[in-house]
Amino acid sequence: MIRLTELELDALVEVFNIGVGQAASAMSEIVNETVAMSVPSISFLPRAAAAKLLATKSTGSGRICGISQRYSGAFQTDAILMFPEEKSRQIVRLMVGESMPLEELSQMEQEAMSEIGNILLNSCVGALANIFERELNGSLPDYHVGYSEEMLSHSGDGASMVLMLHIEFVIERQQISGDVAFIMDMSALEDLKSHVNSYLARAMGGA
Amino acid sequence: MAWLMQSVLDTIDVGAIVLDHCHEVVLWNRWMSQHSGVASNEALQRNFFDLFPDQRGRRLDGAIMQALDNNMPSLLSQTLNRWPLPLYTGKTEAEQGERMQQALTVTPINVEGEQRHCLIQVNDVSAAVQRESLLREQAMALRSQTLLDDLTGVANRRHFDIAIDREARRSRRTGSPLSLMMLDIDYFKAYNDRYGHQQGDACLEAVSAALATMQQRPADLFARYGGEEFAVILPDTPGETALQMARLMCRKVRDLHIPHEASQAPHKLITISIGVASTDSGHLREVYELINAADRALYQAKACGRDRVETIKP
Repeated sequence: MIRLTELELDALVEVFNIGVGQAASAMSEIVNETVAMSVPSISFLPRAAAAKLLATKSTGSGRICGISQRYSGAFQTDAILMFPEEKSRQIVRLMVGESMPLEELSQMEQEAMSEIGNILLNSCVGALANIFERELNGSLPDYHVGYSEEMLSHSGDGASMVLMLHIEFVIERQQISGDVAFIMDMSALEDLKSHVNSYLARAMGGA
Repeated sequence: MAWLMQSVLDTIDVGAIVLDHCHEVVLWNRWMSQHSGVASNEALQRNFFDLFPDQRGRRLDGAIMQALDNNMPSLLSQTLNRWPLPLYTGKTEAEQGERMQQALTVTPINVEGEQRHCLIQVNDVSAAVQRESLLREQAMALRSQTLLDDLTGVANRRHFDIAIDREARRSRRTGSPLSLMMLDIDYFKAYNDRYGHQQGDACLEAVSAALATMQQRPADLFARYGGEEFAVILPDTPGETALQMARLMCRKVRDLHIPHEASQAPHKLITISIGVASTDSGHLREVYELINAADRALYQAKACGRDRVETIKP
């Protein structure tokens, strides 16, 4: 099985932090409010383990709200931004100023969440593409609600691996955590590893 | 086929604009002409940001850049962007300057041998926005008619008012005792100032959840009276029993060990004060006398140092 070394993971954390930093400034512009984001940690695990981890973080209904985009090119992945369902309402309320007093997000609120996901995922993947010096193609975002297992099983197979980014948002002094999962099969993983290594080689070589 | 494509583009109920890599408009369908008042021959070959200068440097600009430079698609929701472009549903709206509610997508268009273009699609979501605002009003109206408090899920003030009135009348009729507690969280304003409103809400939820399970009988009612103030209606309960219950409630909250750094009490924990008033033999004349007595007892508990129970005869 392919694994990423500590050094490779550190490089990815750095790259994703650049990505979410850009996403945060884009969101701040939209909501006229300081939005801060960071990626304190990433982990790399089989899909079933990732689903289990997400389930332990969920609260209330246990359902998760996810915004997904599919990317292809330098490497292929399904990227999904996920929050516990209750948190998604909190985010909408903070970003939009109010929320519907309903159990589920309304259609317009779902679109707002999709846009937030779109900005964030594009920034993360864009930062990757940038260091890989390659371009990726992306789809428009889709919105789903479900349990963690369903959320991660929209693509790939049982052998897929998941690169999980833990993301911290701070909006109006309130902290909300979410996760981004990049679902990859073995060949995507090999591509990712080799791109990270050539990035590291360039960086170390002082080029 | 080109003529077919053109007539499809001019027929679809979506605004379609294509920009080349220099932001020059190379396609502008009929929908765009109709809703912007800019004919296609006026729009073509113009720089997009000359047509819509107020969008320069805004979110739409960023989305166009994402598509042209990074090959990334973007979604601009109505909720977060409202009405980026000066488009109008019809003539009347245009005259009144009332912009159409829009949802936009910006996607890269890659054609072999050409520099990258991008497609901006505009959807009119006015109907959906209107539907939602109606839904919101109705949900709000419905919520205010219910008897539960939004935040804590316990009975709300409306429920309390109905119940106290009913129980007071029953007490007068049957001559049975009726007790009422008024209680509130000590130094709660300081708590909110110190920890923020979100955590203040969490504290209210925790305290009310702990206390709401302590009433044993179906007619007992634990209600949020307002702010950090709660009330408990105890039918058929003499004052002495109510006092004992109140002391247990104080201890229960202290035992939650919710830290309160801004508290003036030495243990720096969340506590409550309770005022109890009872009519022991159904001699109650008016409901407000009972409420007033419980309220005064609560103030007395506050004045005597908080985290305690006091009682006053109505």
